[in-house]
Amino acid sequence: MADAALRLVPSAGGVDVDQLLTRVARGDSQAFEWLYDELGASVYGLARRVVRDPSRAEDIAQEVFLEVWRKAARFDRNLGKGKTWVLTIAHRRAVDAVRRNEAVKRSDLHGAPDDVVHDQPGEAVIAAEEHGEVRDCLDTLTELQLESVRLAYFNGYTYNEVATLLGKPLSTIKTRMRDGLIRLRDCLEGAA
Amino acid sequence: MSEDLHTLSGAFALDALNESEAEQFRNHLLGCTGCALEVSELREAAALMGSIESRPVPESLKARVLAVADRTPQLPPRVTSLDSVRRRSWLTAAAGIVAAAVVVAGVGVGISRLGDDEVPLAGGVSQVFDASDAHTAQVSTDRGSVSVAVSSSTGRVALDVRDLEPLDDEHVYQVWALDENGGTPTSMAVLSGGPGASMPLPESGTRLALTVEPAPHSKVPTTTPFIEVDPSTV
Repeated sequence: MADAALRLVPSAGGVDVDQLLTRVARGDSQAFEWLYDELGASVYGLARRVVRDPSRAEDIAQEVFLEVWRKAARFDRNLGKGKTWVLTIAHRRAVDAVRRNEAVKRSDLHGAPDDVVHDQPGEAVIAAEEHGEVRDCLDTLTELQLESVRLAYFNGYTYNEVATLLGKPLSTIKTRMRDGLIRLRDCLEGAA
Repeated sequence: MSEDLHTLSGAFALDALNESEAEQFRNHLLGCTGCALEVSELREAAALMGSIESRPVPESLKARVLAVADRTPQLPPRVTSLDSVRRRSWLTAAAGIVAAAVVVAGVGVGISRLGDDEVPLAGGVSQVFDASDAHTAQVSTDRGSVSVAVSSSTGRVALDVRDLEPLDDEHVYQVWALDENGGTPTSMAVLSGGPGASMPLPESGTRLALTVEPAPHSKVPTTTPFIEVDPSTV
């Protein structure tokens, strides 16, 4: 019998995460497995980038998917896309983990700017056109915008800490973060 | 100041505010639809940036994730507003359902721990009162009496407020946790016309307090508590 669910997963990718979440909210464990297949690498990769420790990143990814499973009924597509919702949860959890570990953070502070600006994502990155677009769009940010955004997002620093680290006024960093994200958003919209 | 807050949208979308700034910004968002839209767009841009870091997941993780989900219950969808909860509980009462049944079902309890999704909406008040290890106490005030049940096996404390005087539509009873160091009270539950509320047992030394607040609820107590209970002494 043709399972209606199978139509949700087209062979050429482009899984509809929002639809999968709707089904997960009703307790559909098959949809949950597909959701994991679709977003597992993004969630794990982001967590690993932020916390750096592979086994900690695995734990965070597990916590993220458990939270997604539990709260799927609370996902509101009017507030944004499903993938954004899941990655926002992942980022929040990864950043919390880093902030709880103050010692690690302090030791990271010294090498952070070089680390971040020249850091390349790990080997075996899943190739996707989307990633190329994001990289191209990140290149349109000014150096200070990019540094501010990446130090906050990938190292889990507060904007206050970023300002200290870069030796800039708080208000400057605050606006660079916003302007940088706006530029990224506009560029990605144009690319889509 | 408002414009100042508004420019924090980027830092907020990057999770780069400390907890008190984030709380302040979330409050700002409640009254600013444009800001909320901007944040959701900036979050999407941030998430796309995050997803370029994707990398293959260790094989064993999938089985673990699926197994844990399999034995974990899911949360119900959020109801649209506190008002609708209150209306529904009044309608239920009007439909002639006896109060006892309402309590057994744990319906009409209001919101446990505002802003925290971890606690289900329906509180299971009777489960705490009926637990084999439940300790109960009754506290009398000039507003009527409140029964308190504490159960270690369920890890919860429940309040039965059916003997408190009813409030008008403009007011609610709200339950707060007061830590022993005099920190900011944490909202634990809003009793919007329901018969009671159940909540996780707070840390030892934490007292529960009841206040009357303007509907739908308050962020911090605006009146003096008329009852304070230390669950560890029940």
